[in-house]
Amino acid sequence: MLAQSTASEERKFLELKPFSDEMVVSMGPQHPSTHGVLRLELRLDGEIVREAIPHIGYLHRCFEKHAENLSYQQIVPFTDRMDYIAAMNQNWGFCLAVEELMSADPKFAGVPERAEYLRVLAGELNRIASHLLAFGTYGMDIGAFTPFLYAFRDREKILLLFEKLCGARLTYNYIRVGGVSRDLPPGFLDDVREFIDYFEPKIDEYNALLTNNKIFLERTVGVAIMDEAMAISYGATGPNLRGAGRKWDLRKDEPYSIYDRFDFDIPVGEEIPEAGAVLGDCWNRYKVRMDEMKESVKIIRQVLDGGLPDGPIVAAMKAIRPPAGEVFSRSEAPRGELGFYIVSDGSVKPVRLKAKSPCFCALSALQELSRGLMIADIIAIIGSIDIVMGEVDR
Amino acid sequence: MSNIYNGVYSVLLGMVITLRQLFKPSVTHQYPYENDFEINDNIREIPVGFRGQLHNRVEDCIVCKKCAQICPVDCIHIDARKPEKGGKMWESMNVVHLKDQTRIVGIIDGKPPKKIEPDMQFTIQHANPEGTTHPDIPAGATVKISGDKVDRIIDRKKVVLFMDQFDIDMTLCLFCGLCTEVCPTECLTMKDSLEGIEYSEFDRENLIYKFADPTLYK
Repeated sequence: MLAQSTASEERKFLELKPFSDEMVVSMGPQHPSTHGVLRLELRLDGEIVREAIPHIGYLHRCFEKHAENLSYQQIVPFTDRMDYIAAMNQNWGFCLAVEELMSADPKFAGVPERAEYLRVLAGELNRIASHLLAFGTYGMDIGAFTPFLYAFRDREKILLLFEKLCGARLTYNYIRVGGVSRDLPPGFLDDVREFIDYFEPKIDEYNALLTNNKIFLERTVGVAIMDEAMAISYGATGPNLRGAGRKWDLRKDEPYSIYDRFDFDIPVGEEIPEAGAVLGDCWNRYKVRMDEMKESVKIIRQVLDGGLPDGPIVAAMKAIRPPAGEVFSRSEAPRGELGFYIVSDGSVKPVRLKAKSPCFCALSALQELSRGLMIADIIAIIGSIDIVMGEVDR
Repeated sequence: MSNIYNGVYSVLLGMVITLRQLFKPSVTHQYPYENDFEINDNIREIPVGFRGQLHNRVEDCIVCKKCAQICPVDCIHIDARKPEKGGKMWESMNVVHLKDQTRIVGIIDGKPPKKIEPDMQFTIQHANPEGTTHPDIPAGATVKISGDKVDRIIDRKKVVLFMDQFDIDMTLCLFCGLCTEVCPTECLTMKDSLEGIEYSEFDRENLIYKFADPTLYK
């Protein structure tokens, strides 16, 4: 009896059975290029990957069950810890869902205009910070150390801005149900303008440094092609889907908040025959993120030029008590579509909360993407689908 | 041949960018040796409103337990009892928020007006440096301030309960700042100074902050 249970546990740890010349290797959970604690079980034939099975759950913190025992306002700081690289967008996604539930309540007046602008400002700055991290760590995974330092130098400037705005560097807890927590500190908009003026030319510098580098191109162009049909069947969204050539961005296609007021493009992947780039390869997924930073700068510039309206920063309400019902709301986080499904029974706590994580969907495609490639290509794939394990495991 | 040319060219292009960086000042610093936040220009300041360590001004705390209620991780433990007969009771101090996001803790005459006009004059007495973030205000000072600088004033509240225990377990705290937002007297604050950031301890017990002061209540 005892022997049986040990055998089943062993099988759980290693799912694969190698053929005669193959071997099974565990990569991770502590590995510098798995972006968190991800364990990959690889069945290798020499250096060729026959099978790669991701094992997740090392960062599981029971967010969904935990949320059932917390009031809506108390859940917001926990959403920070899902995708800690882009915590503003996680806060925003959750608050959008609760506000959609609240909209059935006639007493809820909706989010004030000024708060919407502040949300766009914070959300787009965080998108740049998140893509900068993706760019920097991808370079480091591939073997270029310099872009990492450059990306962190500029990401630090955004973190300093956030520190002034909301008092925290990583777990912001800034966007609240019905508005935002704090108004702008004095001189903040000038600091943001100074930053984007500094930052915009830097993107071209990054492109010269890494994007068009011959060694980088050799490692990423034409590797692990996730075409449009495959991306859709796995539910991959965000830059992974756009890199496959599908022009789909919730900010444009189902505009939430005030995104319909801004003029920006949706960058998609492109085929470049002379370089060998194919739609949906690692390089295109990466390139979309670089182009998206430019679009985010464009949006921030429009917010600054248009000026922020005066008024309250949070909707007046006694308690966050959405009427009974259920809602599924999604928003465009830097890593893709972030969805929240909430069931409310009219009390201050949700009955059920489910988070749909874009990283989880992207990671599930890894098994198919990596089949038949080299071990080194697995590193290139993980960096290009840009996962954060905090959001995969929740 | 063009392959070699492309390879060498793109590497050189990257080298030119890194070479340019060589002549710019360094953006990093040697943290434990260079942590003087005032002398060295290279090192940033901690912004006003930073969410650092929690601190409670006990004499202004009315023991309403709102902070313990809102805390998502239940790291605040409060125990209170009703005052004995003849127990000394007082009111908490006003908190005057200025437009430059600093604040002064003290007592103003009468109730704060509902709407603050620019031509009003406020005299803040018995200023308490604990909790005051406005620079250069000594303990007990009287400060005169005009209404155009004032953003809002927090009213005084009556202390109704004796505080036996007010413990904050900083090992559990997730620094969300919700407790400081619900505090009606704004006595519970997060330190936005160097000591709010550097709080390493060798003993875990030292991170459980005990604020209750039984000598206050007689």
